[in-house]
Amino acid sequence: MQKGIIVDDASIMRIRLREILEKEYAIVAEAANGEEALQMYNEHVPDFLTLDITMPQMNGLQALKSILSTHPDARVVIVSAVGQKQIVFEALELGAKDFIVKPFDPDRVLKAIHRLFA
Amino acid sequence: MKAEYANIFIRSAVEVFQKEANVRLTRKDLAKKSSPMPSLPVSIIVGITGLLRGQVVYAMDQGFAFSVAKAMLPNKLPTEVRKLTNSAVSEIANMITGQASIALAGETGTIDLTPPAVLMGSDLSMDFLDIPTIALSLISEIGVLEINIALMDGKGDD
Repeated sequence: MQKGIIVDDASIMRIRLREILEKEYAIVAEAANGEEALQMYNEHVPDFLTLDITMPQMNGLQALKSILSTHPDARVVIVSAVGQKQIVFEALELGAKDFIVKPFDPDRVLKAIHRLFA
Repeated sequence: MKAEYANIFIRSAVEVFQKEANVRLTRKDLAKKSSPMPSLPVSIIVGITGLLRGQVVYAMDQGFAFSVAKAMLPNKLPTEVRKLTNSAVSEIANMITGQASIALAGETGTIDLTPPAVLMGSDLSMDFLDIPTIALSLISEIGVLEINIALMDGKGDD
């Protein structure tokens, strides 16, 4: 079973994403900001990561850059309310594999993760 | 401040509440104020920078906040829902502001949001920005949602 990490500053979103994903994947850690995400990534080296953008301390785009600088093959899916065109372009250009805009449908999340391993 | 901002936030709020909480919001009132100071006891503040700058302050009563959390977590016990109420309403505020920011930023602009800050009635000693504000009041079967939009041109702010 592939391992994933959920990164979101809102505990309610971590709970909901876990409920969606853990039917098919092992969620090995959660993080509430970009700094924690880096720590958790290095500790667990997961097969994928869902990453929010608007978070305290270090935002998702900064975390995405850091993770990809040390793990260029990291599979990162952004799950964010901030789906502005320029931000979506920036995230995908940096190397995110997909961008899901909140509010999301559970199926959209599962499909995005399935595609990472297709 | 442009009056069209009100419609953008109304559309976003209606869409997010329908999708996340299965609650139908309807516009009740629109008023102008000198700051986004809320008039209901639970408030969520989102700061905005970039193409626009200012604050959007959402406000509601505690019953409304709990109903939102309950709708977002249908499988959780009431005690668990209570613990997650602040997280639920701050995420709803984040989603409404995020949806609105897509329309406000357009094709080429960027608008950055701060993580939402939740304040309860007795903590309202914080300084709200002194910016002309549009105060929206939206009604639903679970109560009233207030949205105070205090935004100004942020060009040259970077």
